[in-house]
Amino acid sequence: MGEPFDFSYVWSFLPKLLSTLSTTLLIVVSSLLAGIIVGFIVALPRLYKVPVLRTLSEIYISFFRGTPILIQLFLFYYGLPEILKLVQVDVTRAPVLVFVILTYGLHTGAYMSEMIRASVTAVDKGQVEAAYAAGMTGYQAFTRIVLPQALAIAVPVFSNLVIALLKDTSLAFTLGVMEMTGKAQTLGAVTQHFIETYIALALIYLVISFSIEKLLGMAEHRLLRHEDRNSPVKKTFGIHRNRSYRRIIAEMESGKGGVGL
Amino acid sequence: MIKLRGISKSFGRQQVLNHIDLTVTKGEVVVILGPSGSGKTTLLRCVNYLEKPSSGEIAIGDFSVNCKHARKKEIHQLRQKTAMVFQQYNLFRHKTALENVMEGLLVVKKLPKEDARKRSIALLEKVGLGSKLDAYPSQLSGGQQQRVGIARALAMEPEVILFDEPTSALDPELVGEVLAVIRKIAKEGITMIVVTHEMSFARDVANHVVFMDGGLIVEEGTPVEVFNHPREERTKQFLKRITPELNYSI
Ligand SMILES: Nc1ncnc2c1ncn2[C@@H]1O[C@H](COP(=O)(O)OP(=O)(O)OP(=O)(O)O)[C@@H](O)[C@H]1O
Ligand SMILES: [Mg+2]
Repeated sequence: MGEPFDFSYVWSFLPKLLSTLSTTLLIVVSSLLAGIIVGFIVALPRLYKVPVLRTLSEIYISFFRGTPILIQLFLFYYGLPEILKLVQVDVTRAPVLVFVILTYGLHTGAYMSEMIRASVTAVDKGQVEAAYAAGMTGYQAFTRIVLPQALAIAVPVFSNLVIALLKDTSLAFTLGVMEMTGKAQTLGAVTQHFIETYIALALIYLVISFSIEKLLGMAEHRLLRHEDRNSPVKKTFGIHRNRSYRRIIAEMESGKGGVGL
Repeated sequence: MIKLRGISKSFGRQQVLNHIDLTVTKGEVVVILGPSGSGKTTLLRCVNYLEKPSSGEIAIGDFSVNCKHARKKEIHQLRQKTAMVFQQYNLFRHKTALENVMEGLLVVKKLPKEDARKRSIALLEKVGLGSKLDAYPSQLSGGQQQRVGIARALAMEPEVILFDEPTSALDPELVGEVLAVIRKIAKEGITMIVVTHEMSFARDVANHVVFMDGGLIVEEGTPVEVFNHPREERTKQFLKRITPELNYSI
């Protein structure tokens, strides 16, 4: 199909695709922010075992983890306006991006809440007791003792989630959003050099994913500077502090993989 | 002076502490002995309310709490009058030895940073860790970590320090250095309640020995009374099991 393969097109497509990078990044960053906030709200009832709310959280999480993101996009884009019509709210004129960010935000929020819950529970309870025994309040113990350690534990999972989100945004083109994948489709259609556009597109995703992973890897390294990698203590007590082992857990728990580089 | 009156604790249906009365005078070292599951840890944890007693009263000096309706503020006060040294050390892993000792001073006692620092350094020197101020727990041996734990407890200047088997997670060769530090601070007249299985330590450091079994205080007295002339059959059995090389007069 299309024109014969010509690698030089890859280079000429790169800047054209990059011109829509800002849309992709807008979706990623807005969804991430929404996801973090939603994730916290959803994680709290599970962390504090609040009866009814906890069940609601679990239903929410199962829905967003258990159904394809593409279906979620369709449900929100086509379904939500219909439902809102019933209560006399008209959102049919709202920009597509709003629906896209809403869907990705809620989707990521489900994974974020799992990440937050897992990281907070991974901080050893004994330290919290030590904080209480010293007379700290619950808030002080959380912000000074649990949070800094939970952050370090969360980074590899977070890194995977960001990369997964970045890749998932490529589906927004199905709703007609001109992000990078949407742009690649049009470029391909116009020039008939489909393979070249997809190679260029893959290259861009790869470079961004790789940079995110490296940057967050550095952040993790910094946050974990208190864990001596060769100490005997770590070998006995710190299985979950072992980096590669944690990464495996992280990937299992989030159900999403990173670039694996 | 610390007075526990009628402390009871149940986990679900299981009653773990059954009306415990215990008086500890100032400067005294009380050692609690007893078989596994007898409720020693639970009793210590009730004293600083890490475990909520089902009923009873805890008095430290002229401050007292009725456990049934303790208010948040009272629990907070109780915890400031006590300090705990844990079996698993429970150091804050993202903080250095010095920061571990300073933490409570800064956050709870609200001391200026420089004062907290000076006091913490002095305490770490006292437990023999003057050269490890900037080491993280992961870079310290178990014995060193536990000594940081002791310095952290001392820093708060509590009325009593609660030790829950402070040496039982340690490799045998590291037990001595920790016991030496506890001995040293015992001599300085710091009130402490120590749960331990180290019999020789109990013998020569304790002023008062308490033997617990099945959630009750079965027998208490001076080390000589309890170790050399135990009155209760359960105490004799326990001592025989734990120190078979000694023969107790029956
Ligand atoms: N959080 C808990 N929930 C339920 N039961 C508990 C809990 N903590 C302790 N228990 C039970 O209470 C009893 C007393 O436990 P405790 O830890 O106080 O014993 P101990 O004398 O310290 O024993 P050891 O010498 O093994 O440390 C045990 O039967 C234990 O199973
Ligand atoms: Mg115990």
